[in-house]
Amino acid sequence: MLGYVVRRICVAAGLVLIVATLVFLAIHLVPGDPAELLLSQGGVAPDPATVAELREKLGLDAPLLDQYVNYLAALLHGNLGSSLIDDHSVAAEIALRLPRTLELIAAAAVLAILLGLPAGTLAALHAGSLADRLASAAAGIALSIPVFVVGTVAILLFAQKLRWVPAGGYVPFERDALGHLLVLAMPAGTIALGLAAVIFRMTRTSVLEVAARDYVRAARARGIAPGRIVLNHILRNALLPVVTVLALHLGSLLGGTVLVEYVFNWPGLSGYLVRAVELRDYPEVTGIVLVISILFVLLNLAVDLTYAVLDPRVRHV
Amino acid sequence: MPPTLSRRSFVAGSAALPFLCIASAAARTPGILVFGLSSYPPSLAPWANAGTAAGTVKLMIHRGLLSYDANGSLRGELAEQWTQDGPAAWIFKLREAVFHNGDTVESADVKWNIEQISAEKSTAYFRAEMQGIERIETADARTVRIVMKEPAASLPQWFASYHLPIVSRKSQLSEPIGAGPFVMKSQERGVFLEVEAFPKYYKPGLPKLKAIRAVVYADENLRVAALQAGDVDLIEYVPWQSMDAISKDPKLALDTTDGPFMYLLFNGTKPPFNDARVRQAVAHAIRRDDIVKAAFFGRGSPLAHLPITEKSEFFNPELKDGWNYDPALARKLMADAGYPNGLSCSLLSTAQYGMHKDTAEVVQQNLAAIGIRAELNLPDWATRVTLGNRGQYDMAVGGTAADNNDPDGLANLIDGSLSPSYIRSFGVRVPRIEELLKAGRAEFDPAKRKAIYKEIEALAITQAPIAGLAWRSQGYAMAKDVTGFKNLPGALTFSSGITLEQTNAG
Repeated sequence: MLGYVVRRICVAAGLVLIVATLVFLAIHLVPGDPAELLLSQGGVAPDPATVAELREKLGLDAPLLDQYVNYLAALLHGNLGSSLIDDHSVAAEIALRLPRTLELIAAAAVLAILLGLPAGTLAALHAGSLADRLASAAAGIALSIPVFVVGTVAILLFAQKLRWVPAGGYVPFERDALGHLLVLAMPAGTIALGLAAVIFRMTRTSVLEVAARDYVRAARARGIAPGRIVLNHILRNALLPVVTVLALHLGSLLGGTVLVEYVFNWPGLSGYLVRAVELRDYPEVTGIVLVISILFVLLNLAVDLTYAVLDPRVRHV
Repeated sequence: MPPTLSRRSFVAGSAALPFLCIASAAARTPGILVFGLSSYPPSLAPWANAGTAAGTVKLMIHRGLLSYDANGSLRGELAEQWTQDGPAAWIFKLREAVFHNGDTVESADVKWNIEQISAEKSTAYFRAEMQGIERIETADARTVRIVMKEPAASLPQWFASYHLPIVSRKSQLSEPIGAGPFVMKSQERGVFLEVEAFPKYYKPGLPKLKAIRAVVYADENLRVAALQAGDVDLIEYVPWQSMDAISKDPKLALDTTDGPFMYLLFNGTKPPFNDARVRQAVAHAIRRDDIVKAAFFGRGSPLAHLPITEKSEFFNPELKDGWNYDPALARKLMADAGYPNGLSCSLLSTAQYGMHKDTAEVVQQNLAAIGIRAELNLPDWATRVTLGNRGQYDMAVGGTAADNNDPDGLANLIDGSLSPSYIRSFGVRVPRIEELLKAGRAEFDPAKRKAIYKEIEALAITQAPIAGLAWRSQGYAMAKDVTGFKNLPGALTFSSGITLEQTNAG
């Protein structure tokens, strides 16, 4: 298994290098000049001499290949560079914002699992019942409503009408723990709604399939308590596809919470990435995408290891 | 027996939740204003133009020699008097004021600021203007005499701009030391900035607020929701679709002005828009009311002449409808220019901002009626800026506001001798307009200046170096108990942060 993990890590490192190159090329090849943009704020006409000065200062006048080599050399030293706009360290900004996005995703995942897993299991065990049909219909609706609609309705209801929570924003946990949880509730709940529907559907399908297997029937015949059959015989086997789907969704959420972060003003990584692209802040864009890619690769590795825990057969592959 | 929770009581309890009296998530602290900004300032460098949000924050912590009062008239700030001294010189008399580090504001500071701005490697907004200064004389610590290479009637307007604050000459460029009503206390990049009152501010009794917390709400709908929910006290860039709801809300107040505007730009380096008749035809083919309705929800007004507001002394009522909607005239002009069967062209705008996209769509439909088949190009804003600066378009939608209400600001839009920019037409030159703009800059007699700018506007109507489309309403909204904040008139709307010194909350 160690050899397998080492091989996977090597492949992952190669993937990260490819991603780094592609992102560097992509952001440099699209039109838009950070120096021009920075000096064109507020709809004004920048003086070309001033733009040239800034381009020189930012190193943007160097040939692209030189810029690429410098970029890779800096990466090898673990240096993600600094913002073209205000010279702020990209690594420091990511270190500040990544935990917030991870917290948002983690909170949403916990909520979604707490809701989707039991509901999916119960719906499968009582397949065809009214509750199953209602839950399936609700999951269908939850899946089809875009997050910005859920978010906007949540703001209207819980912030503007009921005034239970702030409309958005961020309160550091260390400053006000309750305030932090209050502002986290709506964005996490919004992401969780769609995610719970996915988990619900996957769990329901998988449990239905596993519950019909012979070994489950045999377990029943042996007189094992129904609760134990569900937990040890059905769920343990039914969870593999659920974990896969959940991991894929969590991975895509790393860069995909942008709408929720935007709607709720949550200062995470996705919103930071969008702003960086808008301003053509090259070091920020490449740094953030690189970090997200590494996390995605690590998440996939974690899924493989989780497989090994859930299914001992995988350990011998 | 321990209390039990029946299913029925749980349902009843849940249903009652909305009626529980839960205190609003955001309790007001008297004297502290929460300001909902539209974006986080990309830079707080004192002399850079980094957009409206940066301007508002700069107006909290800095002051320049002059500024504007609530009516938009010039007033003294660090300079208590300013007078013209001969054709090209100005004298500024400084008042007693101190920077945030306790040092007195002196003429040497003013000189140092101008030298930094005009320096060879400077990226300051007023670099070109400051390079027009021949010399700066500081006879004593309170007197600054600025001698220009050429007469400049709009010099006081430059020194009233929030892009020209005076900071201490002991400042590090990364940490400028201002003399404004508030001192920067803390900030988190992209999230918020906090300033607190500067106790030694040179205006007695001001600022009225103890502190301002400026929180970024990039989403315009959330910004409004935050105001309605009581999370913030004051917001900028009120979205047009929300203005009605806010003005009807008894707890809120809306303050708007027609300041920024939308217009069309042309590429004059190639056919068909190198012909003034085609440009004029386009200007007469647009139903401007449709733009006001479609892009601004009726919150604006048609602009069928150069962007000079009706309140300006330079407004010319007889030219107000210079580019009136007249499709027959437009068709005739097209035929005269050799395009009786219409033409095809590209129309550059951006999909990133709804008002730019909506305006482009209305223009496209209107032009189709006179046979101009405009193909929309709607990239993101960054690409739009680059394509505009390089002249890679036939026709483009622009949106901006002048620096101030002085008509010399028009030069930025219609002076074809200036370097290429996405905010003015590409390669459209009208030599007479260029001469007149230069004359207007050097003319100090109000009546003569008015005549010069009237001639410029009349010429612009026929030559159409740009085509005005619509004024758009620029709004601030605030809780009713926020007092003293005022949206400055016309182009000065983005300078409204100056009134934060007299604002109070709670």
